[in-house]
Amino acid sequence: MAVKQLAVGSSQYKIYKTVVFALLFIGIVLVAFAFNDVGQLTLFDNNYNLSLTRISKAIAFIIAILGLQVIVGYTGQVALGQSFFFGLGAYVTAYLVQDQNWGYLTTLAVVVPVCFVIGVLLGLPALRISGLYLALVTLAIAAIFPSIIRLDQLFDYTNGSNGKIVDSDIVAPSWLPLDGTANVLQAIPYFGQFFGDGDLSDREADRIWKYFLFVAVAAVCFWLVANLIQSRPGRAMRAIRDNEASAAVSGIDLARTKSMAFGIGSALGGVGGTVYVMELGIASPDDFTQLLAINFIVGLVVGGVASLPGAVVGGFVIALIPDWASSTQSIGFVPERWLQGPTGTLFLGALLILLTFFLPGGIVAGGQKLKAKFVRLVPQPPENTTTSTAMTSAKVVDDKDDDDVDLDANERANQVQTT
Amino acid sequence: MDFQLLLARLFDGLANGSTYAMVALALVIIFKATTLINFAQGEMAMLGAFIAYTAWFNFGIPMWGAVILAILLSALLAAGIERTLIRPFDPADHLPLVIITLGLFLGINSLAGLIWKLDPLRFPELFPSGNAISWGTARLSWYTVFTVGTILFSLVFLTLLLNKTKVGLAFRAVSSNLESSQLVGIKVGSTLQFGWALAAGVGTLGACVFAANPVLSLDPSYMLRVLIFASAAAALGGLDSLWGALVGGLAVGFVQSVVVQYIPWVPNQMSLAAAAVVLIAVLLFRPAGIFGTAQVSRV
Amino acid sequence: MTRMLDVSGLKASYGPVQVLHGIDFHVDEGETVVILGANGAGKTTTLRAISGMIDTSGSARLRDGELIGKNPSDVVRLGVAHVPQGRGTFPELTVEDNLDVGAYTRKDNDVDADKKKWFETYPVLYDRRNQTAGSLSGGEQQMLAVARALMARPQLLLLDEPSLGLAPIIVSDLFERFSTLNDESGTTLLIVEQNAQLALSIADRGYVLESGEISAQGPAKDLLNDDSIRKAYLGV
Repeated sequence: MAVKQLAVGSSQYKIYKTVVFALLFIGIVLVAFAFNDVGQLTLFDNNYNLSLTRISKAIAFIIAILGLQVIVGYTGQVALGQSFFFGLGAYVTAYLVQDQNWGYLTTLAVVVPVCFVIGVLLGLPALRISGLYLALVTLAIAAIFPSIIRLDQLFDYTNGSNGKIVDSDIVAPSWLPLDGTANVLQAIPYFGQFFGDGDLSDREADRIWKYFLFVAVAAVCFWLVANLIQSRPGRAMRAIRDNEASAAVSGIDLARTKSMAFGIGSALGGVGGTVYVMELGIASPDDFTQLLAINFIVGLVVGGVASLPGAVVGGFVIALIPDWASSTQSIGFVPERWLQGPTGTLFLGALLILLTFFLPGGIVAGGQKLKAKFVRLVPQPPENTTTSTAMTSAKVVDDKDDDDVDLDANERANQVQTT
Repeated sequence: MDFQLLLARLFDGLANGSTYAMVALALVIIFKATTLINFAQGEMAMLGAFIAYTAWFNFGIPMWGAVILAILLSALLAAGIERTLIRPFDPADHLPLVIITLGLFLGINSLAGLIWKLDPLRFPELFPSGNAISWGTARLSWYTVFTVGTILFSLVFLTLLLNKTKVGLAFRAVSSNLESSQLVGIKVGSTLQFGWALAAGVGTLGACVFAANPVLSLDPSYMLRVLIFASAAAALGGLDSLWGALVGGLAVGFVQSVVVQYIPWVPNQMSLAAAAVVLIAVLLFRPAGIFGTAQVSRV
Repeated sequence: MTRMLDVSGLKASYGPVQVLHGIDFHVDEGETVVILGANGAGKTTTLRAISGMIDTSGSARLRDGELIGKNPSDVVRLGVAHVPQGRGTFPELTVEDNLDVGAYTRKDNDVDADKKKWFETYPVLYDRRNQTAGSLSGGEQQMLAVARALMARPQLLLLDEPSLGLAPIIVSDLFERFSTLNDESGTTLLIVEQNAQLALSIADRGYVLESGEISAQGPAKDLLNDDSIRKAYLGV
């Protein structure tokens, strides 16, 4: 089958993109109604839960990992402290909604700047140290978050070890045709059975509405990051990632760019935390330990460093795998005793190592290699063939950084893969 | 100031500090050889302690024999890990190596949880119980005395090993100049493996001593906390200085037990944070630590 | 005169950039041969190729043994010692340790005797034997590096730009010692240098390397007197 080549910027490309996004949108809506109740996959006598709750949790993680993409993937700073900001966002939202009666999404107006500023502050070490040392320091920062929550002085705000319950409800607006959509989907022959039965209960409707809100928040975040990457600061970040010394010599303000990256990435972490507490309804200190920080890194790497779709994959992986692993009671010949316990973590650890060896660009890179067999995006050939070579090459370079940020993942993969 | 209380806290700090120093020692060994920080160090050490426990509990091997067996096994395991997981990668590119050691961290942590379940275990007491010095509320337990003794013994052993043997010379050469080491015929790969094995052995010994603390039990969740304390200790002492690990470890131990108690606005829960602060401060302002050689900072 | 080193068709690349395009040269036993060339010509690459530090294709035979394809520790054991550019001492190790490490591959009992001999030849090394190598001056480090390489009792000594970064007086002294070394102990020397005048004055033969290819070769005296060489490399 011949590889179809699409020139970026051409009308063919625009159609391709529109179709992809449309499919994505439809998929998101379908998921909302299909998994509203508890969906289940059954494999080898094991029941794997896939509910809207879990998917919403995944979305929270996805946003946090998106933040890591900015710091680690695009600026090359090995920062492991995202769980700190995730927790911070969760607690700030919890406090404002529970104690001050704010609306959930309104709290973002506080979460984002707070996490941005603290992110810049905690990113200051990155101006002097890098690599393993920075990783160690940021991991330590992540490790002390629960201790901070448990401080007696903050008990009034955080409720200490008990966790802070938020019991404010999110109610689906009545003008949304949720029942109508559900009925339509149920009417589809054969597939209709997957969309439940009859009208939606209040709880179900609320849950679907929440899900759409989360998707909207996530979509905004993605859109912002995608634009950031292609902007001047974004290019500065990537220059720093690729070669810090050259970047500095080229006139890039290292301190400002790195601080910005940390600020934005941490702010995204906080947004993720807000979504998390919106879904879960409770913020407790042990949800935000360094293990979560490591999990985020796992999600980053598994999905694909410096790849936006990778954040989606990564978020789902860390939201689902640990739970599914413990649901796995039997796989054929493996004795049951071996499967009890933290198998999920073991699987993730092994996955990290295997991926670093065989697929450094993460799952998304693997997927791209597959996609490249069918469709390839190429830079647009210059309209006027008499333009000078300088112009041509400039255009090619520009297009490389353009829409298809997936190419970055390949670059990164090539860099990461070493012998 | 209650002098007895201060002394009691000092003794506490001594005991904890020695443990941190041992794990710090393991970190320093690997750092000296490879300029790499092994995130999985704490977990590998803990795994060694669990192996010792199993040898003692399930196979009836006498305590210290079990410890020695565990040291040997963990050394072997570490050598294998270096060969298969670390060596293929370019030492200058930190990201893949961080990820690999994180993967190891997760893997070993969960493996321990799977094999030994998650209930804390009673580790045999390696040292005589009771107190060497008793002065009111200040008690210096034999445990503390022997712990300090263990680390001093380890340091002397390591110093002799590195300075008086051929393999020690090779190790020091590799740690000083990798390329020239190749040019004098040193097999760098094997030397690095040796370094990993040595570090693992030291770490296991440290974990066993830590677990033998009469008031603690062997619990998989401890080791990350210990790793952070040990990293602070190693950084403070100088990431490439063995004796610095001792000084750093004791310093961190003291900060934890004494300083934190006496500064009113730093509550107990923040001792981990105190260590983190020490780590950050050292890496920012004096990356070479107290005894380390410069060039540790990598901007 | 037996052939000590026979190099043919040597090619080397750093990634996609090819540095050596297939060069041929040889060194006979007891000779001092010099390879000249400007920066970037490929001189250091040549030595590193022989030592096994980089991937190469072609052939470099040491007497009858093939060096290409072997890793550095094997090359050393075959009798080649390489003093790299910038001295390559072990800065944190003491002077004495540096010498000990030079003898790493030796299994005989004369190591201490050799050490003593080098202390006598270079008294300043004896004075500083317990100091770290990094605290020595440039010239002293160069002496140490050569002594270290010779502790391995090599058949062939490779020297990469020994004059680099050293004051002229020290350099003259250095090259005088190389000459003595060659005369007295018959060690075969392959020296790579930018300082053409000095290098050619102690050498038997020389090659000129330009952009990864040999552009001139011949007895040292002839090269010294050759006009084009004089213009290009001797600033005359």
